[in-house]
Amino acid sequence: MNERARHLVAALTGLGLGLAALGPGLAPGFVLSYDMVFVPDPAFTALTFGLTGIVPRHVPSDAFATALATVLPADAAQKLVLLAIFVMACTAAASLVPTTRLLPRLAAGVCYAWNPFVAERLLLGQWALLLGYAALPWVVAAAAGLHDPGGGRRLVRSLLPAAVGGFAALAVSALTALAVALVSPGRAGARERAAGAARVVGAAAVLSLPWLVPGLLRPAGVPGDGSAVGLFAARADTPFGTLGSLLLLGGVWNGETVPDGYGAPVTATIWLAVVVAALAAYWKWCREPRWRRGLAAAAAAGFAVAALGAVAAPALEGMIGLWPGFAVFRDGQQYAAPLAVAVAVGLGTAADRAAGARLPGVAVAAAAVPVILLPTLAWGAAGELRAVRYPDDWARARQIIHADPVEGDVLVLPWAAYRSYPWNDGRRVLDPLPRYLHRRVIVDDAVSVGTTDGTTTVAPEDPRAVRLAPAARTGAPPVETLRAEGIRYVVVDAEIGSQRPSGPAAEVLRGPDLAVYRIDGIAASPGDGVPIAPVVAGWGIASLVVFWSFLATGTTLSLPLLGSTKPRSIPPRRRTP
Amino acid sequence: MRIAIAAVVGVLLAAGASFGTVQLVDNSQKDPVIKPLYNYGSR
Repeated sequence: MNERARHLVAALTGLGLGLAALGPGLAPGFVLSYDMVFVPDPAFTALTFGLTGIVPRHVPSDAFATALATVLPADAAQKLVLLAIFVMACTAAASLVPTTRLLPRLAAGVCYAWNPFVAERLLLGQWALLLGYAALPWVVAAAAGLHDPGGGRRLVRSLLPAAVGGFAALAVSALTALAVALVSPGRAGARERAAGAARVVGAAAVLSLPWLVPGLLRPAGVPGDGSAVGLFAARADTPFGTLGSLLLLGGVWNGETVPDGYGAPVTATIWLAVVVAALAAYWKWCREPRWRRGLAAAAAAGFAVAALGAVAAPALEGMIGLWPGFAVFRDGQQYAAPLAVAVAVGLGTAADRAAGARLPGVAVAAAAVPVILLPTLAWGAAGELRAVRYPDDWARARQIIHADPVEGDVLVLPWAAYRSYPWNDGRRVLDPLPRYLHRRVIVDDAVSVGTTDGTTTVAPEDPRAVRLAPAARTGAPPVETLRAEGIRYVVVDAEIGSQRPSGPAAEVLRGPDLAVYRIDGIAASPGDGVPIAPVVAGWGIASLVVFWSFLATGTTLSLPLLGSTKPRSIPPRRRTP
Repeated sequence: MRIAIAAVVGVLLAAGASFGTVQLVDNSQKDPVIKPLYNYGSR
């Protein structure tokens, strides 16, 4: 079997895993879960590019989803992205195992695409982070080969899925690539290592420009609420404490996004044995000289960052106090991604040894064990990920608002960031209205998290939401206040009837799922957005670098990433005399 | 090649078994009481 056929089998296995994991989510409609918000007929608006002055966490992933929805129905585009995560993860991890045997590669691919990290982040709706996660094995290989001809271009290409994912995905990938570039190259001198690290930082910086520029230029500055460290720190979801849970690739901060049944003592203990065996096999038998030590360093560094908020919260709070940019380390568990690569490659290496020792049963078990130990990721994570359609009221509201020639913004009530709509079976989701409507939509962006002490709220970041909060929080904001802020419409998408603007506002729509109120005589919207020219320049530079990365001689768009490692050939069997 | 086919079949069987189990569990659960919730989640 040639290399291309091996990649194909790994990709098909990833596709099978994706189909099994998404289940009912693949039906027509949209999967809406926590941060995963896709809408029908999305448009490129100021929000898409982070020009409205809010923190651009959704840049450029929203632009990617919108671009995809111009050639596909938006719900099909969502399924395509979600399936691509599984296909890429399985293929990339399989390609990193230094063997020509197929089964060990599949063991690594299955482990990397089907584990607690993927399950928890999928339930949390962080598809953009998972895009970067899926391509992380390619990043490892590319960072180790930076000094080869075309190494810089290959690194940029491997970072592309993370760049699409945005700041969190790129932070994880850049940290991994940096560790590999600094530690891996065996005989490279200090100057070469420094040059490699500089190229990693340069590539990550350029690919960050689409979100970095609007983030730095937003009038309210870079936010960093140190009080949120405790909220988003890793937590124990197995009997082995927070650090043990992180080692097992779980430990997400949100207790509601742990798959059903995960962390039960028996299965968690078996999974611990698998992970420990995989890491031992990685250290003992994985002899790939180009990235072996670098990936180990990246996994260790990632684990340390993942644990930071849980074991040294005051230190992280102090760092955020010094520079708000360190807030990127608050949601620590996402930095366990390089550890997942090491575990997957270790499992593949162990399976390779087993296959070499004529123990194919062990190798088959290694390929199947991640799925067997985490069955509740199947069928849309036990029914948690289901496709739903937006109610008709929403479509009518959009028609009314878009047909109005009078400019003005939209305010959303109730004043909260997340919803649990009955039509979405009560699952939590970030309010989709800012993406659903093509006007500037002001919604509360203060995030509330339930804790043992009650509810803790992270301070809002959108300056306009901050200004409108005192009035909006009452559930009946005075029309005069809304006029002064340039609010043309108030949309109520929960608790309909009990919330509405107080004063002369015309009710233009009232249905069971949505109510819309129009306000006349409004002032011009205050301009507190981001200047367009630097953002366009940032997109232009990033696009040019991506274009350059595909210009290498003989490179095609289809397989520039797959040939990331040169598989070690199996030595011919000796005949016993 | 036979090993590869066995692996793929194994994964599919495991996925099928998982699917069946989850379907049983899912169908046996009662619908939760839906009330307005505005939190991002709970720790």
